[in-house]
Amino acid sequence: MAHNFRSDVAIDWCPGCGDFGIITGITQAITEMELKPEEVAVVSGIGCSGKTPHYLNIAGIHTLHGRSIPFAVGVKLSNPGLKVLVTSGDGDMLSIGAGHFVAEGRRNTGLTVILYDNEVYGLTKGQAAPTMGLGMQTKSLTKPNIFGKINPIALALASGYTFVARGFSFDTKQLKEIIKKALAHDGTALIDVLQPCPTYNNINTMEWYRKRVYKLEDDKGWNPTITKENEAEAIDKYQKAYVKSLEWEERIPTGIFYENKTIPSFTKRIAGFVPSYLSNPPAKQQVSDSNGFTIVDPVKTFKDKLVESA
Amino acid sequence: MPESDISIVIGGPQGGGIDTSATMIGRAFAYSGMNVISVREFHSNIKGRHSYVHLRARKDVPRSLKFPADLLVALDPDTIFEHFEDVGKGTKIIYDSSFENSDLNQARMIMRDTSKKIKNHLETGGYPLTVKGMLEAMKARGGIPIAVSFDGIISEVIKDGTNARYYNTLGAAITLSIVGIPEEFIIESIKYVFGSKEKVISPNIEVVKSAYRFSSSKSFASTPTEKVNRIPKLMLTGNDGAALGKLMGGLRFQTYYPITPASDESSAIEEHQAMEWIGGESSSLEKGGVTVVQTEDEISAITMACGAALTGSRSATATSGPGFSLMAEAISFAGMDEIPVVVTLYQRGGPSTGLPTRNSQSDLLFALNTGHGEFPRIVISSGDVEECIYDAMKALNYAQRYQLPVIHLIDKNLANTTQLVDSVDAKKVKVEGPAIAKSGPDFKRYDLNTKNGISKTGYFGRDIFWMTGDEHDELGHVTEDPDMRDSQMEKRFRKMETADREIPVEDKAEIIGDKKAETTLVTWGSQKGVAQDVAQMFAKKGVKIKILYLKMFEPFPSDFVLEVLSKSKTVIDLESNMLGQAAQVIRMKTGFKIENQIVKYNGRHITEDELYEGIEKIMSGKTKKVVLRNGA
Repeated sequence: MAHNFRSDVAIDWCPGCGDFGIITGITQAITEMELKPEEVAVVSGIGCSGKTPHYLNIAGIHTLHGRSIPFAVGVKLSNPGLKVLVTSGDGDMLSIGAGHFVAEGRRNTGLTVILYDNEVYGLTKGQAAPTMGLGMQTKSLTKPNIFGKINPIALALASGYTFVARGFSFDTKQLKEIIKKALAHDGTALIDVLQPCPTYNNINTMEWYRKRVYKLEDDKGWNPTITKENEAEAIDKYQKAYVKSLEWEERIPTGIFYENKTIPSFTKRIAGFVPSYLSNPPAKQQVSDSNGFTIVDPVKTFKDKLVESA
Repeated sequence: MPESDISIVIGGPQGGGIDTSATMIGRAFAYSGMNVISVREFHSNIKGRHSYVHLRARKDVPRSLKFPADLLVALDPDTIFEHFEDVGKGTKIIYDSSFENSDLNQARMIMRDTSKKIKNHLETGGYPLTVKGMLEAMKARGGIPIAVSFDGIISEVIKDGTNARYYNTLGAAITLSIVGIPEEFIIESIKYVFGSKEKVISPNIEVVKSAYRFSSSKSFASTPTEKVNRIPKLMLTGNDGAALGKLMGGLRFQTYYPITPASDESSAIEEHQAMEWIGGESSSLEKGGVTVVQTEDEISAITMACGAALTGSRSATATSGPGFSLMAEAISFAGMDEIPVVVTLYQRGGPSTGLPTRNSQSDLLFALNTGHGEFPRIVISSGDVEECIYDAMKALNYAQRYQLPVIHLIDKNLANTTQLVDSVDAKKVKVEGPAIAKSGPDFKRYDLNTKNGISKTGYFGRDIFWMTGDEHDELGHVTEDPDMRDSQMEKRFRKMETADREIPVEDKAEIIGDKKAETTLVTWGSQKGVAQDVAQMFAKKGVKIKILYLKMFEPFPSDFVLEVLSKSKTVIDLESNMLGQAAQVIRMKTGFKIENQIVKYNGRHITEDELYEGIEKIMSGKTKKVVLRNGA
């Protein structure tokens, strides 16, 4: 019998929450990719998005607010054979954890980062999240939003993410396909998922999004992928992705904005220094002999510190 | 023959090669068969400010440093000014004759407060505010200035005008010639320091030879020592010791964010990340390697190490006070979720940025209380380079065995102390793994069915289980059920009872010296060495002092400590902090109040001479509290 990637934990998100579509997208993607349950791990932060790991029947950590990325990097680097999903909210990723979000672009570890983007802090009753526009006033705000918004697609591009995409949680078919491509990508992927909060965001509702979203891939000429062969077009593709990231009020693009296959993943970079890294990564290394003693020779390992005998 | 106990201070501008000089001197002593200890003192600065190395060489093993120095080697005028208090009767002061007219008011790299103090010292004695004036003042204290023309000696052999590059070699060579270390040993040091750089080695050797010719012509030089049989030893700092211990202890994943004085450990791990296997059955093992990651901040460092630990890697991070503050929330998470992770906490002067390059033991109470909520943790401390090695191994073992965060305290003084380690015993500490559960659908990461509180663990990549910072059920899912809460809290704290029962008392505290001595000096960390040396000085005078040396603060050996202290007539607490934090722990855990206190918080290492005087003052009944203030 096929593994059921949904756990038996009851979901307590609000009825109509966009998060349900993300769970569906994830389980469908890993099922279709025929991944073994022990090959996938999921890491989240705090908030409604943070509950995701409990609803999935794979190894999962529901970590601290903002820290899902570095936890996930630790999992991935220690056992690079694992597929590691990060499921975190806009506040988690772009406010308290913004430093990690940016730093992950430099690393390109090989995570699949799914950003739950609903412009509000749901679990703490609807405060403005960093993706909410200046002057917007959702129903639980006492005054219009005093802050400008962060554009997650543009920030990911600027930070060096090598796979940048957007999905809509009420289009699970497209979302599933994006997640599959992101999981197959050797590098870190950002998927910004438009995910309406029916309880606290009465402006960016499902209907509001439905009227605006369109798919980049519907334009047959849209090719966001940079490879060794077409590297000369890299700057052009990057610019096009950036320009697309600015579209919002009237029409909102979904799909893959940018994919760069020419930048080595962090795991490959480590293997450049530690040749056995990919075949014998930290999680798989033996550390003691059959009697329980160390296998590391102190003097041979630290021979540069030796005061040799005459 | 060199004297049997030599103290040297060699100083110069930061970035001017003082570390290299000290390595040359330390190694030459070691090659000659003597034992050495040295500590590095420096400003938070890249180039220009005063840095120095305080070194001691002895036939037997020196455990501490002392003032006055026998030799003060000044590679710049500031060194003469800065060390005016470290000169005593017979101290030879080696300096470049061109320094003599240097004016204190022009010495802009001396901190203003220090400069004022020096000015006051010179004016009080009626000396001019120049190096010449300071040398006069030093003569009055019994110092013997020895003027050397650095350029004169170097120009004998270096003709391309790059004299300044060789000042550090010259300083080392003059020093060693004066104390009677044969030329061949410093030449060996130079070959070590410059490695394969042939073009650099030969002119440096020429400078050494020129320096030795100069010294013998001026009859400064002592008769060279005879050759001795040398045993191979490792010359390691505390940072190196912890790095080596971690590698031996099975560490395979280390994270860090740059911070003094912790980063040197991570650099040492990275430098040796390839590791060499011991041979025998391990010779057929696949090559391994430690993954070392420089993270974007300390929050990332601790959380990344936790993530790695979930896949079964033995993982750790290293930091200092400011970084450790940032780690607090994640350490609480590691306690809640029973994640085996080691934090090596290098203590430096706080609060805040404090004295970033100076010594302190002011983070003990913080280490014991870091993180919100109540969770089990183990807190240990090391006192010399050798202990750093084995304690780093034990720290990794404790984390695995008890599935919790372990905080390993090392003070800056120890981190930057260089010592010779005779031999490293690869079988002294076993590499102990965790209890691992059978894989399968019934696996419960937080299984309550455990007497000792330790639930068998599993790994991401092998098992399916969950973790959350929320209170959780046996599977790791969120719960707010009051009974499950109680059960999980009680299970977690049962691990501490188990650890307290299983870890032998000798790994928690020990008595050093005569157990029957009625006076007890209580201390921890890098004072271990100086306390022993001073106790020996007292023993020679017929005064018996034993040392109660503390190594583990959580779980704390309360019964043992109380028994020792309650049977002592006089108890003195010795710490490098202001509040006497270990004494506070003792009071909290045992109710015993230590009446006498010797503390130091100016960021400098405690020296033998000042500790001796401090103990004398307390034992004479004149005072109950002494603040030590030595050090430039």
